[in-house]
Amino acid sequence: MTTPGKPHQHPSADDPRIMLDDQIGQFEAVPPYPPRTEREAEFYSLRDGEMFLNMGPQHPSTHGVLRVVLKINGEQVVDLDPVLGYLHRGVEKLCENSDYHHIISQVDPLEYVSSLFMEWAPVMAFEKLLDVEVPRRAEYIRVLTGELLRVSSHVLFQGWMALDLGGLAPILYSFIERDEIVEMLAAITGQRMLFNYFRIGGVNGDLNHEFMSRLGDWMSRAAKQHEANIGLLNENEIFVRRMRGIGRLDAATALRMGASGPNIRASGVPFDVRRAHPYSVYPELEFDIPTRGGNGGGDSLDRYLLRLDEVSQSIRIIDQCLHNMPDGPIMARLPRLLRPRPGRAWAAVEAPRGLYGTYAISDGTDQPFRMKIHDPSFVHLQLVGLLMKNNLIADTMAVMASLDPVMGGIDK
Amino acid sequence: MDRALRTRLEARFADSLTGPVRQRHDETEIRIRPADVVEVLRALHDDAGLEFAVLADLCGVDTGTHMQVVYHLWSAETPDWLRVVADGMPREDPRCPSLTGLWPGAEWMEREAYDMFGIVFEGNRDLRRIYMPPDYTSFPLRKDFYLADDAARSPGGGVRHMEQTHAPVQATQGAVRRTAKA
Repeated sequence: MTTPGKPHQHPSADDPRIMLDDQIGQFEAVPPYPPRTEREAEFYSLRDGEMFLNMGPQHPSTHGVLRVVLKINGEQVVDLDPVLGYLHRGVEKLCENSDYHHIISQVDPLEYVSSLFMEWAPVMAFEKLLDVEVPRRAEYIRVLTGELLRVSSHVLFQGWMALDLGGLAPILYSFIERDEIVEMLAAITGQRMLFNYFRIGGVNGDLNHEFMSRLGDWMSRAAKQHEANIGLLNENEIFVRRMRGIGRLDAATALRMGASGPNIRASGVPFDVRRAHPYSVYPELEFDIPTRGGNGGGDSLDRYLLRLDEVSQSIRIIDQCLHNMPDGPIMARLPRLLRPRPGRAWAAVEAPRGLYGTYAISDGTDQPFRMKIHDPSFVHLQLVGLLMKNNLIADTMAVMASLDPVMGGIDK
Repeated sequence: MDRALRTRLEARFADSLTGPVRQRHDETEIRIRPADVVEVLRALHDDAGLEFAVLADLCGVDTGTHMQVVYHLWSAETPDWLRVVADGMPREDPRCPSLTGLWPGAEWMEREAYDMFGIVFEGNRDLRRIYMPPDYTSFPLRKDFYLADDAARSPGGGVRHMEQTHAPVQATQGAVRRTAKA
């Protein structure tokens, strides 16, 4: 504020006139540079009656920090352009500059909802590079903990889905379930979220008494609890009517778009890496690959229901793991410093969100020469633009949530 | 290792292969010229007995001397993963045909490879940066892009680990600067 007596003072931060001029923190929907590609030019030119609506980058229901520019005509979404990179940490570059053991903790926070799977694929790729045989007990422990985390991830998805559609209660029940599972895993890994548990050649710690007693406790009512969770939403008329017929994806498009996991199975394609390209001890276990969606493909409701079907299958697998768990070592004998022979390896696992893979190149040193991480959510986010055409703005969140992307993995 | 797949690939792509078919664990690897990418992958996708329906991954690789694009494919016909390496692109101007005509889902994967390596996918209609900001000029996953706090470049250069993995050529050189060509 300038007073008449004094010529000039530094402006105060409270001065509303300054804040009006301040461009920091404001997002222009239209980029301030000429279009770089054909598609960008097409998207950022408006026809009669159209306008842009900026969503994010901190929208609470985008499962992370995502920005989406919507091109709308009234309430209808004509087109949309997701803008990524707000969570980009350059994990692949960090992995190329860390040694093989260190990488397990680098990839952990990629997809923070199911971080054991984020460790699984890199560890499997490194084991291929090193020609290591993993002890059977370690493989069973991996499957057991992995399936527990799949249940927790799918149950959390259920709550998230409802939250994105405006229902507050289910997320509270989801977190009760998730809390029990992460507490259980914390008993053997020491961590609630970023477990850092799998090791090249095995796992970090054996099953202990606390884990087993918590797991027994949970297993005794898991199936019943799952029934109760299904009852929470499946008969809710508002929920069902907002999901049915929205975001329909047919099988051929799903394959061409590179989709995987529950999203492709909800479109009727029975592609599950656990059966399509068996790894670990999955060939020894009995479980079904649930699919949904008829000739017209799967809609948002199918994708939601399919994840509930998978929870029952995971409970089946956990039960078998507990009965078949062999005795023996949990780590292969390996030197402290790993220098795999020069070579290349690709390994993929079925994470709760789909095919999660790692391509590693070794040049004979203790760090990988190149490490590529393939995250399913990255591919699935691409589908949003396809599925959202001519739907309502309010349905954007329903479709996006039904694809279940997690931005931590997408942005790497 | 699927020996039958190897024979089939050798017979079908005799003209396109630039090296022997390699097999290790549950992976089969073929090498082709970047110019043949669309033709070979279309054949892999469509031919009876091959039918690689799933594009599991697409990634760029900087070998230090040249660029590669690596595709991983899955088919119900074989127990192996198939890796297709499009090899031998010059680092100064890496160009590769786009796969978006065959798998539209490759669009973002190609955008990522472009963002990280500067590989230009001809035919991709949305080839802009995906993670890095639009005014960014370097390609971070190239081998001559060093991390800002890379201990290999620090005085003494010894704190990093027991050995120097990738010795920097010139500490002052930094990242390759290229303007984005759409």
